[in-house]
Amino acid sequence: MQLQYGQVLGYLPDFLVGAAVALVIALVAFALGLLIGLVGASTLAYGSRTAKILVRMYVSFFANTPQLVQIFFLFFALPEFGIMLTPVQAVLIGMTLNAGAYLTEIQRAGFQSLPQAEIDAAETLGFTRVQTIRHVIAPHIIKALYPSLSNHYIIMTLGTSMAAIFGVEELTARALNANAISFRSIEIFSMTALIYIGLTIIASTILYTFGRLVFRVKARAF
Amino acid sequence: MGAIEQLMAEAPRFFTFWNMVFLGQAALNTLWVSLLGCFIGYVMGFVIATARLAEIVPPVILRSVFIGWTEAIRRIPFLVLLMCVFFGFQLSGANQSLFVIAVTAVALRMSALAAENIRAGYEAVHRRQWEAAAALNIPPLQALFRIILPQAWKVILPPSTIHTVSMIKETSLVSQIGFLELTFAARMLNQRGFSALICFGTILILYFVISWSFASLGRYAERRLVTDARRRARSPSTR
Repeated sequence: MQLQYGQVLGYLPDFLVGAAVALVIALVAFALGLLIGLVGASTLAYGSRTAKILVRMYVSFFANTPQLVQIFFLFFALPEFGIMLTPVQAVLIGMTLNAGAYLTEIQRAGFQSLPQAEIDAAETLGFTRVQTIRHVIAPHIIKALYPSLSNHYIIMTLGTSMAAIFGVEELTARALNANAISFRSIEIFSMTALIYIGLTIIASTILYTFGRLVFRVKARAF
Repeated sequence: MGAIEQLMAEAPRFFTFWNMVFLGQAALNTLWVSLLGCFIGYVMGFVIATARLAEIVPPVILRSVFIGWTEAIRRIPFLVLLMCVFFGFQLSGANQSLFVIAVTAVALRMSALAAENIRAGYEAVHRRQWEAAAALNIPPLQALFRIILPQAWKVILPPSTIHTVSMIKETSLVSQIGFLELTFAARMLNQRGFSALICFGTILILYFVISWSFASLGRYAERRLVTDARRRARSPSTR
């Protein structure tokens, strides 16, 4: 048995397109999940008792069941209610709902880390409400949240690989297709693994540099 | 809501004794693969994290190999890692069962997560403890086991249950190579003609019960450890 990468390298451009698709899927689901998380975290902070219980149930249900089975459920069980989803829609909705649960938890922790003393100090100094949010609350929360948020984006980028099971043409799906055509299995999947490693290292570096320059987040890059 | 009525009509046919035995065995397979894989992964992770300590392994080049390992494995999706292990076994000519392949994949993934977790535990112990041990002429490995680890394990233990829960969830991907665990069982029942609603709904609840109990166990352990540590801090004479 010999490893032959020559035949497999031809798939590289195709795979890189797949990697871009993975990044985009993760980005869309992340952005929508961030909104759900914001609503969830604010509900946990200021909502009524019933609303809090509902948000907690949502978070613990999605955090305690596999994302794959959630998407299976959306994809195969919703048609029984007359809701047909395309693979891309099922994956996006599943990942968004899943991300929403995790990002609710992350953002709740970020809100809790805000010291009341800083808000009081801003009030004492005569800041208006907008100024307090702009100069005190927002920088604090962004600094506290940025590392875990960017970390979760990386996790979600890796999570997009399960979209392959539903036939979404991202990196892993392209690898599975190429495998079915060429049978150079180990070469294809090791190359795929390397692309994922490179992709997420680049994404981490960009996120780290961005956080460092724009928000002055001082966290470890890796 | 025609689907609900259909569900009600289907339930007696679905929740039969043998179907439940089938699902129970699948749940045990899920548990067994993830727990065994996590255990092996934690042993590997312990070795990796320890080999990253400058006090234990002085040459930087050797240490960077282990750093590279953790960084690389953490950045490969579990599905791709699983395929690599699957075809890697095929390439090596070793004819292994799906169980061995699944456990290997879980263990490899866990080794990286565990190494990160254990490293965080090591870093929670102040560096001066190492220096004090060196000053007292205690060999590094002995210092690790008798000074650092007794303090570090409280930081290590709570996240380890979270990792176990996340691995229980990730093993759902093992259904892709045909290993009979919960997700695969649900797909089989689905193909035998039961509706997707009842199949996937049931295993979602099963997964929830399993993960939630592990997570609660972790929270309980964390609370116990924190209150123990506080109690000890209040009365130093007990130590």
